[in-house]
Amino acid sequence: MTKIQLRSETSRGTGWLVLGVTLALFSPEVLALEPNEYRQFMGIDSRRLVWFLAQMHLFFGAFVLGVPLFAVIVEIVGWRGADSKLDKLAYEFTSLLSVAYATTAALGGLLAFALFTLYPTFMGYMAGLFKDVMFMYALLFFAETFFLYLYYYGWNRMQGGGPFPVKLQWFFRGLGILIIGAAVVLLFGGFGLQMRGDTRSFIALLYILPLGVGVLILKDLKSSHILIGILLNIAGTAIMQLANSWAGFMMSPAGVDEEGELIGTVWQVFENILATPVAVHRMLGNLAFGGLVAGAYAAVKFIGAKTPAERAHYDWMGYIANFVAICGLIPLPFAGYYLGREVYSTSAVMGNNMMGGDFSWTFIIQAMLVGSLFLISNYYLWSGMTRIPGSDRYYKYIKFILGALIISFAIWLTPHNLPLTSGEVGDMGGSQYHPTLKFMGLMPAKNAVVNLIILSTFFSFLLYRRGNKSDVVPISQQGRIPQIVISLAGLVAVAIVGQYALSMLNLDPADLDLPADRAHYFRTVGYLLAFECAMAVLAVILALRDHGKLAQGLYMAVTALSVVIFLGVYGFVVMEKASPFLRNIAVSQFLQLISCIILVTAIDIYLFRGARELGQLQWGKMTVRSQYALLLLTFVITMNMGLMGFIRSGLRGDWHIFGVMRDTSPWSYTPSNYTMTEMVSLAVLVFMVGVAFMFWLGGIAAKNKAPDQPSEKPADAPDGPASSSTPRAGG
Amino acid sequence: MRSSVIGRVFVFLLVVLGAYMWVGQAITAMTGGERKAASVVEVTPEGGEAIFWGKGRCFTCHSLGGEGSAVRCPNLGQFGEKFPLPIGARAEQRAKERSEETGVHYNSTDYLVESLAKPDAYLVEGYKNEMAIVYAPPISLNLKEIKAVIAYLQSQGGDLDLDNIENPGELAQGYYARIAAASAAGGGDPGNGEEMFADTCSDCHSIAGEGGGIGPDLSRIGEKGLKFISQSILRPARKISEGFETWVVVTNSDERKHVGLKSKDTPAEVQITKATGEVAVIPREDIREIEQDEGASVMPNDLTEMLTVKDFQDVLAYLMMQKGDEASAEEGAQ
Repeated sequence: MTKIQLRSETSRGTGWLVLGVTLALFSPEVLALEPNEYRQFMGIDSRRLVWFLAQMHLFFGAFVLGVPLFAVIVEIVGWRGADSKLDKLAYEFTSLLSVAYATTAALGGLLAFALFTLYPTFMGYMAGLFKDVMFMYALLFFAETFFLYLYYYGWNRMQGGGPFPVKLQWFFRGLGILIIGAAVVLLFGGFGLQMRGDTRSFIALLYILPLGVGVLILKDLKSSHILIGILLNIAGTAIMQLANSWAGFMMSPAGVDEEGELIGTVWQVFENILATPVAVHRMLGNLAFGGLVAGAYAAVKFIGAKTPAERAHYDWMGYIANFVAICGLIPLPFAGYYLGREVYSTSAVMGNNMMGGDFSWTFIIQAMLVGSLFLISNYYLWSGMTRIPGSDRYYKYIKFILGALIISFAIWLTPHNLPLTSGEVGDMGGSQYHPTLKFMGLMPAKNAVVNLIILSTFFSFLLYRRGNKSDVVPISQQGRIPQIVISLAGLVAVAIVGQYALSMLNLDPADLDLPADRAHYFRTVGYLLAFECAMAVLAVILALRDHGKLAQGLYMAVTALSVVIFLGVYGFVVMEKASPFLRNIAVSQFLQLISCIILVTAIDIYLFRGARELGQLQWGKMTVRSQYALLLLTFVITMNMGLMGFIRSGLRGDWHIFGVMRDTSPWSYTPSNYTMTEMVSLAVLVFMVGVAFMFWLGGIAAKNKAPDQPSEKPADAPDGPASSSTPRAGG
Repeated sequence: MRSSVIGRVFVFLLVVLGAYMWVGQAITAMTGGERKAASVVEVTPEGGEAIFWGKGRCFTCHSLGGEGSAVRCPNLGQFGEKFPLPIGARAEQRAKERSEETGVHYNSTDYLVESLAKPDAYLVEGYKNEMAIVYAPPISLNLKEIKAVIAYLQSQGGDLDLDNIENPGELAQGYYARIAAASAAGGGDPGNGEEMFADTCSDCHSIAGEGGGIGPDLSRIGEKGLKFISQSILRPARKISEGFETWVVVTNSDERKHVGLKSKDTPAEVQITKATGEVAVIPREDIREIEQDEGASVMPNDLTEMLTVKDFQDVLAYLMMQKGDEASAEEGAQ
């Protein structure tokens, strides 16, 4: 495909979208309580049609938002490590983006048309309320298109050239520091206090801070190219945030009265309670999704590779993609928890319906998918250890990790009550609850095992990282930086856990509608968290005194005991005696786990930095089975995205806009889980076929544009990384 | 790329999606398919059962013996040592407890009505008050549907008394009035509305003799209807009650402009009470200009930025109940 073809395709897609938004802006403004009008196209169920189109748009949207994130991260790592192979990889992924971008925009236009023609009253109301936001959305699309062109087509031209004049570099440094400073001030509420805290943090951390870093590093054409990549991501993220505000508003309307009339400001409408939690969840999900779709591309290429060099290249590409995906996956449950909590805060009815109502069994399917994601990710990591000389030393741990994962997975899947026939209920003594398994179906058990799954995956990752390292490098001999970083990580861990310990020690039982004599349940957790803080301090001291392995082992063991064993069991006691406090137990588990991951990773980075290697990594020495695992990961995360979209949207029940505008259409009911799997499967199938088609087109474009490839090809390119000197992501 | 590779991957995808749909189908076969919520019912246990397990979403928090899986709120059937009696029989026992606690006579219907209309009046030990206001959005049950649910609960091991449900005593009637007012106001929670009123409005307005005197007394505001109250909050300057007009006085001595209510007007002086509560006493001879500002109200016009939509609806529901009947208003708001 030529540049002109690509450009016209992207422009056409953007045109569709702009047309859709224009249609929105000229729609009549209506009040929420006016009778709704619904239409059909060729007799098709309008809800299913919109569902399918929205899902397709979201899949492609997630891809075009996830891949630039991924590409810029890889480009920066390559630039910092002067590794042209990583730069080539980033370019290869960006080349896949152009076609997907046009398709996303075209699908967005189609979705907008479907919504405006099939749900005219609802969309008229939304367009009236969000007209300013929709204008911004359309304009940002131009910005994103512009940055994408510059980023993709400027790749080769911005490779060479000398450094900028020193004065200019200093100017950029000063400006960058200024912008970063502004981000920090905004983050801590120096200004922008009229915003919600989460919106302020989102803007500070995802827009202003990256912009500041991008300006700070400006010193030549290549770093300018990275800045363009950052701007591309900022524009993409802003587009996502604006669109999320519509979805968020439908679940948690703000700034309007019960008749839907605007009584606040457009900002209040935009900044509704769920807008940012959904955006945070989507960001991480997109990162994982973008990584895994790229990984699927690598897996298919690996399976069809004809030479060892090709296999090595695509094995490495798959590994990097999977690594990025795991980075998105690990914090995803926390983001999900935050989103769930905000859903519950918005409406207890919606929250209860999510976990205990219409969607309780959908969450069982979700648990199956998420559990599979972690299980398969671990399998892929273990398979990857076969290409690392020396990693056989750690094989013995795998069976224990696998055991922990399987048991945890089984518990996570266990429903509280079983859908049984009356005969089966009679056989179980007249109860739907199994005498033993019923405990496995309760939240304390599930909270314990989900933490164990994450901890086990983290442990697998640690084993992978140290696979071919001979032994640790004393931290005391590595200068000041490791001491500062590890101490800071310890401080972060103590701050995260410590603040919650304090709040537990000071929590008034009356705040939870509990009698005063239940205070000791809070205090116990408070002291446990305080002990965890002490362990973090001890781990830092041990690490700085060259007992890094002991520090890691001790801190992980204490965390596992506290989070999984103690709080897992204690959760049942709390559930019986002080049920409202159970949510705080879940928060304390999550906080301990995240602190453990932060501190142990910081120690690990320096523990093995520059350690002697036992041999070179043998890229390409992977089984075909492992590539199918990588493909399966992509399929599962795509299915899970569809499922979660169904839950998020379905939580509104029979409301277009929760509590404000009722859905009075014939399709106003919650579809069954089977309908959900049918619809999601259809969307996944069409998306995967579409992506495969795009990869094929991208392949043709790459062949036609071979002379344009980054010119600084390494001597061994395109064979891919064959030596261990290639920096391993995270290594 | 060899087509066989694409073919294998495609088949693999189909197998995965097939397994996914099989799981969805198996779960749907076990748990039932889509259910459309019934909304119109008779006041019978059967009607209440449909609401309990359907539109009312009671099942998301309450189980009924072995039916349902919710554990968030008390089980309403006979279940373990903690719940030896089903809710119908339990309500009769609780009615006695409530009578002793409050000194007001309760029967089973009163207790059940109170549980639905004002869930925090009595909390079962170990449970938090997290019950939704079932007559507010998004559940929005009407009075008839609530009565049906009460009939259903009463039929669980208790003596069903449909006459008493339709024509209860004063206590339950108060709660019925509360539900009706809340439904008329779009389904706000009058209990929270009262708190919001106390925090936001009572410095200036009074109800039943309690509160400030800068703004009009609102003890009978409910009689003016929802539209009037809503407009008065959103656009206070549109219709100002007589005696509460905004006056602007400019003084000679310091050329200050005093804006507020003319709370006193004598030949010797004019007293202006400002929105902040500050009172300015201005001698006649010091007045350079005095005029009524018809386009302004002393009442803040940015209340919408101070209230969330829910708070606004709650305040509306509370104000809708203020019809001068102190007993019922107080009862309803409790």
